[in-house]
Amino acid sequence: MTTEKQQETVELLLNMGPQHPATHGVFRMVLWIDGERVVDVEPHIGYLHRGSEKLCEGESYAQIVTLFDRLDYIANFNNELVVCRAAEKLMGVEVPERAQYIRVILCELNRIASHLLFYGTYGLDAGAMTPVLYAFRERERIQNLFEAVSGARMMHNFFRIGGVNEDVPPDFGQRVRRIMGELRRGMEECDRLLSFNEIFLSRTRGIGAIDAETAIDYGLTGPNLRACGVPYDVRKDDPYEVYDRLEFDVPVAEHGDCWDRYWLRVQEMYQSLHIVEQCLEQMPEGPVMAQLRRIARPPKGEVFVHCENPRGDLGVYLVSDGGPKPYRVKVRPPSFCSLMPLKHLMRGCYVADCVVILGSIDIVLGEVDR
Amino acid sequence: MLATLKGLVTTLAWAFRKPVTAQYPKQHLPIQPRYMGFPALLWDDTAGEPFCTGCMVCVRECPTQCMKAEMKDNPLQQEGKSHRRKIIERFEINWNRCILCGICVEVCNFDAIEMSHVHELGGYARAGSRVTLQELLKYGREFQERSGWKPSNPEKNVAGVALAKEKEKRQPAAAASRSEPASSNPSPGKES
Amino acid sequence: MIGREVALAAAGLVALFVGLSVVVLSLVWLERKFLGRLQGRIGPMRVGPFGLLQPVADAVKLILKEDVVPAWADKGLFWIAPILMFVPSFMVWVTIPFSRDLVIRNLDMGLFYFIAVSVVSVVGLVMAGWSSASKYAILGGLRSAAQLVSYEIPVIMAVLGVVMLAGSMNLLTVVDKQASVPYILVQPLGLAVFLIAGVAEVGRTPFDIYPAESEIVGGPFVEYSGAHWAIFFLAEYINTFVVALLVTLLFLGGWQWPHLPGVWAPVVVLVKTYLVVMVIFWFRATFPRLRIDQLMAFGWQVLIPLSFVNIVLTGIQLYYRWPSWSLSLMSLGIILAMAYWQYRTQTAPAQALARSYSQRAYSQRRGA
Repeated sequence: MTTEKQQETVELLLNMGPQHPATHGVFRMVLWIDGERVVDVEPHIGYLHRGSEKLCEGESYAQIVTLFDRLDYIANFNNELVVCRAAEKLMGVEVPERAQYIRVILCELNRIASHLLFYGTYGLDAGAMTPVLYAFRERERIQNLFEAVSGARMMHNFFRIGGVNEDVPPDFGQRVRRIMGELRRGMEECDRLLSFNEIFLSRTRGIGAIDAETAIDYGLTGPNLRACGVPYDVRKDDPYEVYDRLEFDVPVAEHGDCWDRYWLRVQEMYQSLHIVEQCLEQMPEGPVMAQLRRIARPPKGEVFVHCENPRGDLGVYLVSDGGPKPYRVKVRPPSFCSLMPLKHLMRGCYVADCVVILGSIDIVLGEVDR
Repeated sequence: MLATLKGLVTTLAWAFRKPVTAQYPKQHLPIQPRYMGFPALLWDDTAGEPFCTGCMVCVRECPTQCMKAEMKDNPLQQEGKSHRRKIIERFEINWNRCILCGICVEVCNFDAIEMSHVHELGGYARAGSRVTLQELLKYGREFQERSGWKPSNPEKNVAGVALAKEKEKRQPAAAASRSEPASSNPSPGKES
Repeated sequence: MIGREVALAAAGLVALFVGLSVVVLSLVWLERKFLGRLQGRIGPMRVGPFGLLQPVADAVKLILKEDVVPAWADKGLFWIAPILMFVPSFMVWVTIPFSRDLVIRNLDMGLFYFIAVSVVSVVGLVMAGWSSASKYAILGGLRSAAQLVSYEIPVIMAVLGVVMLAGSMNLLTVVDKQASVPYILVQPLGLAVFLIAGVAEVGRTPFDIYPAESEIVGGPFVEYSGAHWAIFFLAEYINTFVVALLVTLLFLGGWQWPHLPGVWAPVVVLVKTYLVVMVIFWFRATFPRLRIDQLMAFGWQVLIPLSFVNIVLTGIQLYYRWPSWSLSLMSLGIILAMAYWQYRTQTAPAQALARSYSQRAYSQRRGA
């Protein structure tokens, strides 16, 4: 460095990502920092762009399900459900009840799996090493169950337009009940380890707070929105499948800070267990697939369907021209919208908080970039 | 400090519990019966030929276009040993492109392809991931033997059964295999 | 005569180096194994029986790896920094005793020497951060400077409490004074302050602010690879071991163990030290990381006042010649008061909030 005439301080430009352990995939944040304070942040997305929406236009409806598996690759069942429901709504198909219950059970278990992953990686973001291993241990039980049901641990391709691929194995109910007990114990253990840990509290309480109005303006949904005190949940407000027959609470927090978002997700896991229990009791016998033509050909028209994903309100806008392939598929990804208030959340916080905030909004880059 | 102590106790408790780790290459976790490994072609023992007739349905429906197929006239059919008029000549699956979705199994009308339990394919080169008919049949036969696979529609697809039925009806053997894919038929069950 | 001295010193140094290498390898193995068990895993298993040779394999790998120097790095500083970090952690061993006789040089100002020398390592960290020409490394280097300098004070203050009780800075005397009662019983507060500050000093969880992996991806070490990184690694583990060893000597009574002949002294010290090290690893398995400002606030607003309180209490007890259990009671009282204060200000509000959130949960459908 040459000696300048006068000293001048500039903000340090710090590239966080796309190769960074805490950006949950390939997300890049350009931080302008003043010491440890973040002055401004510029998010860059698109490193995982695969053109899913465009790809959908070239695939038949059955094949689209495999593409949706790969959007939010942590909550595969929830994603499959949305696209299947969109096509079903367009075709006016009545899905057999048993299939609906199976779908709800699998989706809720997937919600637990997704939130467990959030719990683990969030602990890791905050610097704790153990939560991720405990969470994966619990998640493994769910994944095993998924493998027994659908044959795959993650990219299931199990939901079909008009039902599900095949009936659940005969010991499904027993297995679910058994892992539910184990899950509850494991979740309580996770809760004990992290939720009220003083260091964790001081890292997350009051960090990255967003108020309800701003959150709505930015289009936040799901746990991120409910953390601000807005009681909005698609499962309650626009019930789909059999959610209107089930009794469950939707946890709502108040301050919209990182800890609230974390706490909300932990509570949602317990509620999901509650839902699964009820579904197992109510599940009727019967067919799991509606009588349909082999190749789905929705009539000409358009439809918008949304479901409550672990990350929020996932919407699909589907336009059909009557052919075997959709004319246009537009996805409204909750993770993408959750990234919107990033500047708002991160300005003025510390570098270390950036990681915690990004972790707390729980994005999945597969869905952000599509 | 209270929660801190709770956390410390939580972690310490695990020091006295059995670890959950499975030592992978030494110890394999049980594979679920429905597990979807890479697709393989099945073997019809009653006729001594593959089930596959090379009808190209799976090739068309594959989301990643990972398959190639070619059909030929079935010599066994002329000898009266099989009811299939056409038989697969060349088949190739690029396992590097396969996404294990199981759509090919679902659309197959001849019980010819199945998601086998093959999944450990780690290697040092990309070569060898284009699997030929012989290898696919080998994997398929392994799968058949190990899992006790049964065809979902034996009357139509298993040569022995189909021929016997035809004999019963005193009809030429060729008639059965002419039946086109039934479009109203819901997906054939993958399981035995 | 002088030749014999030099030869002895040289032999001692070689023995020390070999011993330290063994210690570090054992620590690496112990950490991975113990952390694994705490997390429900089994840790390394493949190399050697119970994975005992895993650290050796790691060391070989690190030495054989290419030593990459960033193009823009300040090469001289970049090469010196690991040495500067390593040398102090090596030098402190001159005065650390394993038994009454097993010590290279017993200094009367042993504790003073230890503290004075161990501070030097911060220079190596800052240097590494600066010379790497990487922004993450610079952030980490500056963080390490802030952290290590501020946590040096509570360490010194906590040690002072012990020195006051023992009336000496000679480690042999300090241990001898604990023949009847180890200082952990007399000064729990001092131990708490020393252990916390010591953990911060070596940058381990929950105070691993400067290498924070999820934030600044390794801090000052981010650009280092191969053998140079291995030296940092070595220094870090030796420092951890030194802190544990000092806890043993200062608070756990060193080689004192009832009804055990003097031959066992080094074993007793080692066992106690490894137990303390395991406690530090246990912290790592449990805690998240603090933020840099919280770390500084905790250091300056909590630990330093506490260490002063500890000194004042010790002084009062010594001046009025109260029995030593009065000091332990006062110490414990202060620890409990701190715990209660933390509960009131932090845990209780969070729990109340959680309860109120549970009540807010909405279950009825809107508009239905």
